[in-house]
Amino acid sequence: MERGEYLVVMGLCLLITLPLELLLGARVWRRPRRLLVAMVPLVVAYSIWDIAMIAGGSWSYSDEKLTGILLPFEMPLEELVFFVVVPICGLLTLEAVGNVLTALGRLRAGEPVGRVLRDLPHGGGPRPAPAASTGEKVA
Amino acid sequence: MGIYTLTALVSVVVVLAIELLWLRTGILRTWRYWLAMAIVMGFQVPVDGWLTKLSDPLVLYNEADMTGIRAPWDIPVEDFAFGFGMVTLAMVLWVHAGRREERRAGAAPGTAGPRQEQRA
Repeated sequence: MERGEYLVVMGLCLLITLPLELLLGARVWRRPRRLLVAMVPLVVAYSIWDIAMIAGGSWSYSDEKLTGILLPFEMPLEELVFFVVVPICGLLTLEAVGNVLTALGRLRAGEPVGRVLRDLPHGGGPRPAPAASTGEKVA
Repeated sequence: MGIYTLTALVSVVVVLAIELLWLRTGILRTWRYWLAMAIVMGFQVPVDGWLTKLSDPLVLYNEADMTGIRAPWDIPVEDFAFGFGMVTLAMVLWVHAGRREERRAGAAPGTAGPRQEQRA
């Protein structure tokens, strides 16, 4: 259990940011292709940096608190997880904050609280009326 | 001062250059970016603090490669530059990827796809 401690910390980060997706409509997890496109260059760049720093002896990891699973170039599995999880937490925060700001703007514009709160889990902006999509086909 | 101090500072400069000179998403001029960044840096303290606590560390640093300044708790100050650069890069790449998707969807109006995009 203790050897999984780093992974547990990363899991907790995912857990506490999940409400940003579910309740504040961050729509990060729900856009996997866009997420992949954004994340790949970052993960590659920061992994290279990490590998270089490990090789140069700038930092190392506790043998007792990590699984010991090593990826190519001696990078601990946990580091790869870190470079995926932490940026995603950042993106969830960015989108959630944007949605809350949008919702506050709508409230200030005098929209009913109930409607604004109802739209929040779907992305903050007013939801397109269901009639709009069918209306397109008619036109 | 050491290689970690230097590369952490360079990473921030490179990320800012990517945004300001290349991708130009304009995210640095939005409230949501700075508010989100403040929240992220706030949460970095407990998470990073746990990883770097000297009493029982998960990550061990070579003090010769950094300033040696650790605050709050035992977090190396360099970690904040690291985190700021990394999360900023993620946000810039994310917004950029969204714009590209939007443009592609706009260029091909016949294709069905996720059209709904957030505003900045």
